[in-house]
Amino acid sequence: MATVHLMTQHRPLAGGEAVVEADGATVGQIIDDLDRRFPGLGDALRAGSSAGIDGEIHAEPEFVQVQPDTVVYFVAPLTGG
Amino acid sequence: MTAIENPKTYKWVGTRPIRHDGYDKVVGKARFAADLNLPGQLHAAYLRSPHAHANIVSIDTSKAEAMPGVKAVVTGDDFPALDITDSNHDVSINVLARGTVLYHGHAIAAVAATTKAEAQAAAAAIEVEYELLPVVLGIDEAMADGAPLANEQNYQKFVGPSDPSNIATHTPLERGDADAAMAAADIVIEREFDCAHVHQGYIEPHACVVDTGADGKANVWASSQGHFMVRAITAAVLGWETSRIKVTPAEIGGGFGGKTTVYLEPVAARLSEKAGRPVKLVMSREEVLRSSGPAPGAKLRIKIGATSDGELTAIDGWMAYQIGAYGDFAGMVGAMSVASYKFPNLKLESWGVLSNTPKTAAYRAPSAPHAAFAIESVIDDIASELGMDPIELRLKNAAVEGDLTAMGMPHPRIGLVECLEALKASDHYQADPAEGAARGVAVGFWFNIGEQSSATVNLNEDGTATVITGSPDIGGSRASMALMAAEELGIDVYSITPVVADTEAVGFTDVTEGSRATFATGKAVVEACRELKVELCRRAAQTMGVDEAEVEWVDGAAVSPSHGGEPLTLAAITAQAKRTGGPLTATASLNAAGAGPSFAVHCADVKVDEETGQTTITRYTAVQDAGTAIHPSYVEGQMQGGSVQGIGWALNEEYIFSSDGVLMNPGFLDYRIPVASDLPMIETIIVEVPNPSHPYGVRGVGETGIVPPMATIGNAIKAATGVRMTSLPMSPPKVLKALGDGR
Repeated sequence: MATVHLMTQHRPLAGGEAVVEADGATVGQIIDDLDRRFPGLGDALRAGSSAGIDGEIHAEPEFVQVQPDTVVYFVAPLTGG
Repeated sequence: MTAIENPKTYKWVGTRPIRHDGYDKVVGKARFAADLNLPGQLHAAYLRSPHAHANIVSIDTSKAEAMPGVKAVVTGDDFPALDITDSNHDVSINVLARGTVLYHGHAIAAVAATTKAEAQAAAAAIEVEYELLPVVLGIDEAMADGAPLANEQNYQKFVGPSDPSNIATHTPLERGDADAAMAAADIVIEREFDCAHVHQGYIEPHACVVDTGADGKANVWASSQGHFMVRAITAAVLGWETSRIKVTPAEIGGGFGGKTTVYLEPVAARLSEKAGRPVKLVMSREEVLRSSGPAPGAKLRIKIGATSDGELTAIDGWMAYQIGAYGDFAGMVGAMSVASYKFPNLKLESWGVLSNTPKTAAYRAPSAPHAAFAIESVIDDIASELGMDPIELRLKNAAVEGDLTAMGMPHPRIGLVECLEALKASDHYQADPAEGAARGVAVGFWFNIGEQSSATVNLNEDGTATVITGSPDIGGSRASMALMAAEELGIDVYSITPVVADTEAVGFTDVTEGSRATFATGKAVVEACRELKVELCRRAAQTMGVDEAEVEWVDGAAVSPSHGGEPLTLAAITAQAKRTGGPLTATASLNAAGAGPSFAVHCADVKVDEETGQTTITRYTAVQDAGTAIHPSYVEGQMQGGSVQGIGWALNEEYIFSSDGVLMNPGFLDYRIPVASDLPMIETIIVEVPNPSHPYGVRGVGETGIVPPMATIGNAIKAATGVRMTSLPMSPPKVLKALGDGR
């Protein structure tokens, strides 16, 4: 199971939890697993989240592969000037 | 000057060749968007709103259409209505108003005519009937219970379109227990800050020429930070397939984030379609200031707690960013940019707040300068209260690899400590300020981003190379691409021609923002070169009659021990390309992850004239972690440019609105950016802590330099006068007032 850190604004959708575990071989599958357990969380994560994995931020993380010991940090989408 | 040398040494990377596009720019041959003229070209002009908020009851264009020289008129009715959830909805209703004007200067209609004067006269003849609506101008006013709506179509992101609101985003970020830590702290300092809107101040106004042909396809020449972005947004606003538009990038005369969106191109395209002739559309300086995105204004309340020995134990912050009449992510990013210190306990709440002011746009590290101004000011006051050197307090608390950012993710390898140490050891910091001057320091952080880039490298038959990318050259990226290609291929940097190609001649490339071009597009160039080196070795093995595995690429040539070590140069291989398998070319496209965060530490010495309130900077040093400086001169240029723009933000620049929302200073006489005589030489110290996610360690340097200057100068003013300035700009009248209040 991957370890998933949620943004503060998403925690109410996960029963107040900041860190949860989730199953999946990709970030998209992890989101699907979370949405099964916490209905609505999947849409919220897909509406505006990047994912930080192994120190790298992925802007479109749906198909980024994860391992069972991966730590995923959902973060707000970043932009720049 | 390089304080910390990259442990790796290179032949080309890190050198300072004259940029490939330098000659054209110095002698005036470079072609910017407004330099282009096409046969039969028309000129266009806008009718803009005289009101900051009003419903458009009717528009009558009949008189304008009958005027001499007029060939086409467009209004919002000439464009499709995008769904409110469409990501391009806001830009579509900003390009031309649809039923409601949301700020003074909002475009309502446009006219194309044979001369600019005819177009302007006809635009002025368009008759519009307005129904005035309440004008919302300030953050407090917009957030008050029962406040009128600045934009009835705005809804809070991530909440849903059911409930219109003056709030675009609300972002809480928390870790630990900030309240308990604050209660236990030995010292707590809380202050409130405000920041005026400022403009990016690019010298070249927005400009484009569009030729929509009878076949329905449009050729666009435009100045932007990303021509694929121009293509995508223009197509979306017009309701066209993307493939109907080709965008050729003109040279860009500054963007700084302000050219990451579109204002003109869809309007020019529709005018050209209606008129059947090319249309040129160029903003005046007044239009640039009134109607193209400034950076947000902001209000911030920051409270920081610390132990008596200077350990920062908690931060509690409230940040509201004023973002104009359209939703964006400015508020979220401001809170997320709190990443310089360990802060075991953190509670931040940030807001994006609407008002009837121009739609804001990014400005270098968007939203981070506001937050840094507030936080670095409070940290400086803590150092002062504790009697600690401001660098020592920052070193004690500086984030390192593994420490958490405000958004919860741990930092990768970063170079803040190295930057602080470099400033501490610098000639500037070691020397005393000049007589009558006092010193301030501050830290800045920016994430940097990756995103999509493409590069094609063609090896020519004479042994030279053409490097084709889709990233407009804003800060010397042609030279950086050529240097990385020269390093990879082992040929002279001037044997490489870097080209910025149009949307049909190179793979998709995202907009140049987030300091990403040298990082992400550079990564694509390196990948393409490495693919070519494999093929060059294969061709050489064929020519030498040796096994491919025995050939390696060394200093621009294939070498094989089995072939007596005689090198086969790149030029020798390309000359025989037809015989050995055909043209040598490679393309790489990627979605780059692993952008390296960048830190900067600035130091300013200032004198404050207590009779006039004027602040004069006597010495200024910018230290920044570049990862690896591919072309140090252009890294230094970015650091100096960011510093100077930050100095303007700190001391003079501000949007001044009347009570009915009219910008009162829409020109460079009254909106005062710094000029050379206002400034000392900006000294630079490049720190190189390589980013492990880039083949040469690049972090990206374009944005971080604008984050520390406001707090740096505020801290220096405090050291000089004993007065803490909490309002930007720290202009002479405000300083005088503060000095009076402080006495």
